[in-house]
Parts: sequence; structure tokens; C-alpha cells
Amino acid sequence: MGFPLTFWDISLWLAVTAIILLITSELISPYYGKTNILINKKRLRNVSLIVSTLFLITVAIRIATIITSP
Amino acid sequence: MRMKIGFAQPVSIIMLTLGTIALTTSIMFISTILAFIGLGLVFWGVILLYIRPEEYTKKILLEAALSPSLATLNQMIQEFSYKGDVTYLPPKYFTDPETTKIYISKDKDTSLPTPEQVQKYENQPVARTPRGMLLTPPGIQLSRLLEKSLGTTFIRTDLKNLQQNLPKLFIENLEIAENLEIRAEDDITKSTTIYAKITKPFYADTFKEAEEPSQLTASIGDPICSAIAIAITKATGKPVRITDTKSFEDGNTIEASYEIIEE
Repeated sequence: MGFPLTFWDISLWLAVTAIILLITSELISPYYGKTNILINKKRLRNVSLIVSTLFLITVAIRIATIITSP
Repeated sequence: MRMKIGFAQPVSIIMLTLGTIALTTSIMFISTILAFIGLGLVFWGVILLYIRPEEYTKKILLEAALSPSLATLNQMIQEFSYKGDVTYLPPKYFTDPETTKIYISKDKDTSLPTPEQVQKYENQPVARTPRGMLLTPPGIQLSRLLEKSLGTTFIRTDLKNLQQNLPKLFIENLEIAENLEIRAEDDITKSTTIYAKITKPFYADTFKEAEEPSQLTASIGDPICSAIAIAITKATGKPVRITDTKSFEDGNTIEASYEIIEE
């Protein structure tokens, strides 16, 4: 019994989630006048940035793997 | 009309529960699809809980609470019949540099008091002296909230920093207004005037119905204009006067000009 998702599956999931979060965070930004939605926009933005960073880390690991492989 | 996400907590708990079950099942049966579903449900359940809003007050309650205090200030100023200028005093006038007061002189063209004279009445919310009156400005709490959002006191900033950071605080952090523009202009006499344009402030509806403020009350400013004046006086370390305030489009746009007094 092991976790069924590989590192690259999680990287893909992070990519999709990051895109959704970043677009949502940008569309409900107060700079566009959308101030009727009652959620903590700052926290949503922070989460989207963290998920994006995690995805970029997996990309960096992938690149490092390719470079260092014989 | 604002839509309240009141059902966020039960939905989040349901998503977390289903997600955990899906993840556990995926480990038992080595199912990638179930793992993706479980991971997604758990993640979005946690996100829904995390981004829940802070406590919100109905706008109508805020307006009901705000109007009487401003009306009282207006009536008080008119009763005392002070005719002089309204000046926001910088921190150097007080023993506690975080204190801010406005000085209203009894007669026109009277010079400002000395710091020693002001410090005698520093701790009183309203103090009348033979030459003028010291008053706590209406924007004091808002300015403290702005400082808390900024993470520092305005004393440690300067005018340029204020021009960069105040719009972000107003629009993004506190959502006080839809837009804020601040620009500074120096004239030939080397005195600086600052112009602020506030678009759709949160209290626009309150002031549509309020009675017309007196000249003196307009010089004190509404809470937002007052908070900006406090920020300017703390950042520059010089006395500031609100020389003009204009309201357009039924209170949806407010333009204010601030003069920095050279001592």
C-alpha cells in the first residue's frame, strides 16, 4: 500500500490548482472594483502565490533531474 | 447587495470529510483518480475555511453609527463660534509622538500655540484655551488602522512613501475606497500643497443625507480626509491644513487639498 500519486502527478495537480487560484485571485482583486465578494482576498492571494511557488519548485526539481541525469 | 458566504463552514467540513475518505480509499485500492479527487476535496475544503471573511457589519449600521458623531462635532463647532483656521499639529507638539490633535484658533490669522502650551492639554479629548481649542480629529482611529496595516507609524515614513503606500492601503488592504490618488505640488513660495482624490469612499451614502457642514467642519474634514491629514502631518513633521474639500457625483468622488505650513 503506497500513495498512488507520483511526484509528477502532484506537480501537475499543483499547476492546475495554481492557475485556478491565480486567475480567481486576480479577477476578484479590489483594483477591478469587485468589492462585493465577502472573502479574505489577501489570504486567497497568499495561498495562490504559495501554490504557484510549490509548482515552480517541482519544475526546478524536474530541470535539475534532467541536467544531472547521465 | 453583498452576498454572505454563511454556509462556508459546513461545506468545508463536508469536503474535508469526503476528501479524507477518498484519499484513504485511494491508498487502499491504489487508485490515481480517487487520489486526485481526494486531494482536491481536502485542499479546497481547507481553502474555504482559511479564506472565510472577517466579521462584516451591515453598511446601514455603520452609517447609523457614523452620522450622529459627525453631526455632534458640527453642532459643537458652530456653538463655540470659533472663526480661525483649523490646523493639524505634528508630533513635535506633544510629549507622546503618537498623539494627534487639531488646533482651532478663536480668531482668524492667529499664530499657532507653542508645544509647551499644547502639552498642558494633551490628554484631554477637547480642551478650550483663551486663544483656541484643541480637539481630537475624527480620523484618528482610521489613521491608526492605516498604520497597523502599513506595519509602521507614519512618523517613520516620508511624503513620497505616503504617496506610494496610501493608495494600496486604501484600495487593497482596507478597501476604504475604490481609488485614491495623491499628488504633491510645490508653488513659487516653496510651500507644498497636496491634492487627494478619493473615489467611491465607503461612507458615500452617509454624507448624501447629512446636513451641509460648516466651513470650519469642512476644514476638519470627514474621517477619511482627516486620516490623510494626520498621515501627512506625521510624515512631514509640519502642521497641515485642509484648505479645500469638494464632493462630486453625490459624494462618490471627493477631492481635498492639504497645505503644509512652513514654520
